[in-house]
Amino acid sequence: MLLWGWVLALMATSLGWAQNNNSVVEAHAVMATDAAHADSPLKLAVLAQVAAGYHINDHKPSLDYLIPTELKVDPSDQFTLRNVVYPKGALKRFAFSDVPLSVYEGTVVVGTLLQAGKAVAAGTYALKAKFAYQACNDHACLPPTSVPLTVTIKVVPRNVPLKPVESDVFQRIKFE
Amino acid sequence: MEEQTPIENTPQASKAPESSLPENPKAAKSKLLAGALLSVVLVVGLYYLNRYWIAPAVRAQTKSDGNHPLAPAFSLTDITGKPLNLSDYQGKVVALDFWATWCGPCRIEIPGFIELQKRYAAQGFTMIGISMDDSPEPVVGFYKELQMNYPVAIGNDRLGDLYGGMPGLPTTFLIGRDGRIYAKHVGAYDPSVFETEIKELLAVSPTDEDKGFHQAGQVFGDDKVELGNRAAIESEVPGIDLTKLTADQKGAYKKILESQQCTCGCKLSLLKCRQVDYRCSLSRKLAQGQLDAFLKVKSSGVATK
Repeated sequence: MLLWGWVLALMATSLGWAQNNNSVVEAHAVMATDAAHADSPLKLAVLAQVAAGYHINDHKPSLDYLIPTELKVDPSDQFTLRNVVYPKGALKRFAFSDVPLSVYEGTVVVGTLLQAGKAVAAGTYALKAKFAYQACNDHACLPPTSVPLTVTIKVVPRNVPLKPVESDVFQRIKFE
Repeated sequence: MEEQTPIENTPQASKAPESSLPENPKAAKSKLLAGALLSVVLVVGLYYLNRYWIAPAVRAQTKSDGNHPLAPAFSLTDITGKPLNLSDYQGKVVALDFWATWCGPCRIEIPGFIELQKRYAAQGFTMIGISMDDSPEPVVGFYKELQMNYPVAIGNDRLGDLYGGMPGLPTTFLIGRDGRIYAKHVGAYDPSVFETEIKELLAVSPTDEDKGFHQAGQVFGDDKVELGNRAAIESEVPGIDLTKLTADQKGAYKKILESQQCTCGCKLSLLKCRQVDYRCSLSRKLAQGQLDAFLKVKSSGVATK
């Protein structure tokens, strides 16, 4: 019984490749601190989870024709984008390619360094971004798409100390 | 091929031996590991046995139900500027490949398709490529690079949806001489899979089809072929079938959608979101809900403005 359970589970995995495109990658953004100060840098990270069996392309894909993974931050009056740090992809072989491809699988962490403007008043601001990707498995590909992200950033007066949060995530990102 | 308003473009176990001797823990652990490894090998073996031998054989023996849908007609312009109408291929066997240049599994199939075109064109077969790329430039480059020998046009979401939607590329349809879809393959396959099916479909003479041909033997696809609802796809509110509404009611319904904000994050009205973002599943669900409510009010006899 257990054996056939395994068999059926494996078959279901095989047949269910064409899952909803929206659920192949789930992403959310986190800040390095609980708030931000005006005229200061602030760090964000986007944590994207790629569904098992799928991969998305490296930000610097191995081949010209592949669509890169990209974090697109909307222009904002309060914050300017200074840098986006992408992880290095893992080289994997796929049945459809003669050469190994640099891809992201599992959890992908993209770091973002922002700069809060000098004149930003204390308050809460929404920053919009998109985690754009194009996913494939070994057999087929899904159309390019993106996960919309909204980050709520609280700007506090300079005399209010900032508390670090999600430090384990940010230790993994080399911002410089 | 199906006679419908064509869609047009605007420029893919064995039991372990028993022992009476007591075993030391290391040996027992080794046996347990060996057993687990054997189980995994067996499971994987059974899986592949089923996938590549048993399941196809079962499918191959399954009789066609005569319910193969007619391939939706379309009129496009191919990347060389020539008209590409599916209806022009009536009486031929067509392999319709939805693909894209950014899709590795799609690209790997193309040389096989070129070979199939060379081998079977004279017998009444043609490949047709529908690229789902956003622009023709990469497609033209790839077409020239591989010296593709069959028509390729740039498709769109509406055409994809007419063919039941394209959750993944490549998606290839095998269309018989009678214009019906006999197989749908999602993902990359070995050319021999297509060749077998093409040969079967070519074996049926056009004359036989005129007499009411509805099946072509063992041809099978991996998915049930379900086509999109043309009325919904070509609707004034894309994705919503408005055929049950009069012209006035359509206007009233659209006003309702216009007055409501879509909650997908687009900051547009429900109507606008449907019009500019055909793929937004949330606005489609909300608009359908509004239509259902509208129809309910209508059927209960409450006047609608």
